[in-house]
Amino acid sequence: MFKNYLKIAWRNLRKNRVFSFINIFGLSLGLASFLLIALYVADELSYDRFHEHADRIYRVNSDMRMGETDLHLAQSSDPMGEALLNEFPQVENFVRLYNNDGAKLIRHGQQFLNETRVAHADSTLFDVFTLPVVAGSSKEALTKPNTVVISRSSAERYFGTPQAAIGQTLETDDAGQTFYEVTAVFEDLPEQSHFNIDFFFSMANVDYPFGNYGSHNFYTYLLLREGADPAEFPTKFESYIRKYLEPMLREYLDTDLESFRASGNRIEYTLMPLTDIHLHSDRSAEISPSGDIQNIYIFALAALFVLVIACVNFMNLSTARSAKRAKEVGIRKTLGTGKRELVRQFLTESVMLAFIALLLAVGLCWLALSWFNGISGKVLEITDLLQPAYLIFLLLLPLLVGTLAGLYPAFFLAAFKPVIVLKGLGGGGGKSESRLRSALVVFQFAASIILIVGTLVIYNQLEYIRNARVGFDREQVVVVNTEGMSQNTRSAFKNDIASLAGVRSATFAGYLPVANSSRGDTSFSMDPVMTENSIFNMQIWRTDYDYIPTMGMELLEGRNFSPEFGSDSLAVIINERAAELMGEANPIGKKIYHMDPDFETSVAYTVIGMVRDFNFESLRQNVGPLAMWLGRNDWRTAFRVVPADLENTLAQIEARFTEMAPGMPFSYDFLDESFDQMYRQEQRMGKVALSFAVLAILIACLGLFGLVTYVAERRTKEIGIRKVLGASLPNILTLLSRDFLKLVAIAFLIGCPIAWWGMDRWLQDFAYRTPIGVWIFVVAGVAAIGIALVTVGFKAVKAGMVNPINSLRTE
Amino acid sequence: MLLELKKLSKWTSQGGERVYLLRDIDLRVEEGEFISIMGPSGSGKSTLLNVIGMLDDFDQGEYHFLGEAVHRMKEKQRARLQKEHIGFVFQAYHLLDELTVYENIETPLLYKNIKSAERKALVGDMLDRFRMVGKKDLFPAQLSGGQQQLVGVARALIAKPRLLLADEPTGNLNSRQSREIMELFKELNQEGVTIIQATHSEFNASYARRTLHLLDGRWTDTPEL
Repeated sequence: MFKNYLKIAWRNLRKNRVFSFINIFGLSLGLASFLLIALYVADELSYDRFHEHADRIYRVNSDMRMGETDLHLAQSSDPMGEALLNEFPQVENFVRLYNNDGAKLIRHGQQFLNETRVAHADSTLFDVFTLPVVAGSSKEALTKPNTVVISRSSAERYFGTPQAAIGQTLETDDAGQTFYEVTAVFEDLPEQSHFNIDFFFSMANVDYPFGNYGSHNFYTYLLLREGADPAEFPTKFESYIRKYLEPMLREYLDTDLESFRASGNRIEYTLMPLTDIHLHSDRSAEISPSGDIQNIYIFALAALFVLVIACVNFMNLSTARSAKRAKEVGIRKTLGTGKRELVRQFLTESVMLAFIALLLAVGLCWLALSWFNGISGKVLEITDLLQPAYLIFLLLLPLLVGTLAGLYPAFFLAAFKPVIVLKGLGGGGGKSESRLRSALVVFQFAASIILIVGTLVIYNQLEYIRNARVGFDREQVVVVNTEGMSQNTRSAFKNDIASLAGVRSATFAGYLPVANSSRGDTSFSMDPVMTENSIFNMQIWRTDYDYIPTMGMELLEGRNFSPEFGSDSLAVIINERAAELMGEANPIGKKIYHMDPDFETSVAYTVIGMVRDFNFESLRQNVGPLAMWLGRNDWRTAFRVVPADLENTLAQIEARFTEMAPGMPFSYDFLDESFDQMYRQEQRMGKVALSFAVLAILIACLGLFGLVTYVAERRTKEIGIRKVLGASLPNILTLLSRDFLKLVAIAFLIGCPIAWWGMDRWLQDFAYRTPIGVWIFVVAGVAAIGIALVTVGFKAVKAGMVNPINSLRTE
Repeated sequence: MLLELKKLSKWTSQGGERVYLLRDIDLRVEEGEFISIMGPSGSGKSTLLNVIGMLDDFDQGEYHFLGEAVHRMKEKQRARLQKEHIGFVFQAYHLLDELTVYENIETPLLYKNIKSAERKALVGDMLDRFRMVGKKDLFPAQLSGGQQQLVGVARALIAKPRLLLADEPTGNLNSRQSREIMELFKELNQEGVTIIQATHSEFNASYARRTLHLLDGRWTDTPEL
């Protein structure tokens, strides 16, 4: 019997090729996008779960508010871990990571390579985290100074094999030149790790004034004892703050914790579960760029949307086709086939279609994967699907979808009255049925409209950012990494390049207004004596005489630094926001005070200039207060170049670099590209939204096409009668499209407010944003109606051309 | 003369062979005639009515309607001619289920772009004449078969056609309802409407002033064969 069902299902499928194709293809599009997103979401959710004790590892985060500035740090102070371990029995162990420089130069033969995946770590690294050792021993691996543990791939790169690496030394540029002995090689960290480090150096080599409770520069991970309750930690941190930080407040700010807090300042520490870091952390200075749980929600929602739309289609199309099969049902029923058998037959058919769709979906998924990896920034593979959980899911999904999608048409068909059907009076299909279908169309088009609006808003905002006035000129600036060059040749290099014909000006540029550049944040005071009321935090960037002109920043008041003024070593140039914070319309000549790190003396700086605010974080944030003073910042050198013959200029720069720093890696960036990188997430979102919008519209159109087919079939007779009564083709077109256009219009009315609300919230993330224009809704509405019209029209013309006598035959 | 068919033939091809649906049909219809076309199932009655009604085309021969050569006309012209002069009544009534009696009768006027006030007057007259004013807001499903066919006839007449084509108009009705429709046809004919009806029923045929017999797509003088 079952075989018979399959046979008939297969024949039906072949008989209605176009219809089957639309049906299967629509569903597989939905399934494929669902699979892709499932892979993506599962990958995002699996971050850091490979550590054996993942559920017991927490990181200490620090939140501070001093003056007007909020700091949300992923790091905490260097003695934090030790203090917690000693004082709280719940803490079993801790490890700190330190990667202040973010990169090291490591000698490889005659060359130095710029390694960015580096950090210093405590010897407890292997006790807290699960890093399988493939050579050497994890015991005492980092206990001694000048030791390093490296990943398998780095060992292979530098020494051939992991075994060969043990006992070898690596030369780095730490403090000019430092040698480290490789004591262990560990298996490469999986992609799904919030830190991807290849070299862990001994913590003993970190040049840092250890024991400083007030500076937060170390990623501190705690391994809690089994059964320990992280909820107890707020009180623990409070006692920690009272014990270690309050004495500092008394000593240096002459205040206690209560009045410090009363004036709006705060210091807080919290624990963040290791497995939450990747998706839930929005802290500055994460070790590697983190994901965003919001994206996961949006992705998942969009995928679910598309899947539901596709299933809805499947249902609608199956019902539509059933009208054609009414006769078969009628004959089967008169032959004595029971309702149950009919339901079973139709369910078999729809589940079979769903399985075919699934196979196609896996194929589509495979084809789309490299494209998807491109826009999502992942390295997903189709073989990721070959896990038991996925496989079970893959088998259940078409069963579920097929059943859900087939259920309605199955019962709809099985309920046909054979006599009526055979008389040619068509099947049932009451008001409630057509209302359900209308609701589904409205849903599909509302979803499409939301996605169209979302896409337009995202692209509009990206365009706005691209053209936004950011306060500096990011075009035609080449930034060369000069870390590999010995410090005393960097000036010569800068001056040599500045004299090239293709170079307009040059400046040392360790601090740049783009992401992943150095930042310095420190406290200033309006008074010589620092009090909790006069203190405020701001960015302090070390620059040189050429920085402001080369960056194209605009001086609003005062003057630039100049070698003609001997006293400029105690001068600062501030931005508008800093002046606002100081409460000075014209701050020139005013003094601000900076405390030395030892908190003993305060030094007065004179404001000599004020620049127009420039965006040094992404446009998501408002410009914060910032000051510049003269100082060493020569690990990057920026050149403003002439656009013509850029290649030649770059070649000259490289030649000079190689000459002055033999064996060192030459690398450069364009400032505008670094600027664009800050919005990669948004660009990605834009692409994802666009893909889903296209997909949703495509599927919705398939559905609409199916529905029009259905309606045209159901109304064949009516169309025939009307034609006999004198209706023309345009009359028939209007007749068939009117109802659908009404539905699309309703979808528009429903979709627009939702889209507006959602996108308005998305835009709230940007301090600088463009409003959602009415035109966006107009475009979305016109697009939706246009697409619907074309789809409906195609079928309606066909229906309207049929000779009425064919549809009015009574026998 | 209202219309004339000369040596009109229509066929289909089955397996490379011509199967004639109509063969060498000659017919002259004067204005004001009432003609019955009789013949067994499959003899071509409906096909002939469809051809006369310009719903279907033919393969050979000539068709003149009000002096115009239909066989040389384009689709659009034929549609205009049909809309202007021909009304149809069907065995299965073919009313539009979702429209009321009033709206059903009004529909042909909509497609002739007649103004709302005039439509109202015309439909009102028709409802009066058929004594259906009280039923104008009912839907077809709420009417008996005879009443439905009455609406069908009213709808066919609303555009004031010169020719009324009726294909088995009483096929779904009982004898009393049949008689009523036939009486109505007779009355209409006396008012000047030309009627051609296809029927199985001798009794219905007897209302006509001329009866023609079809067999296998040709006229025949020996219907009993």
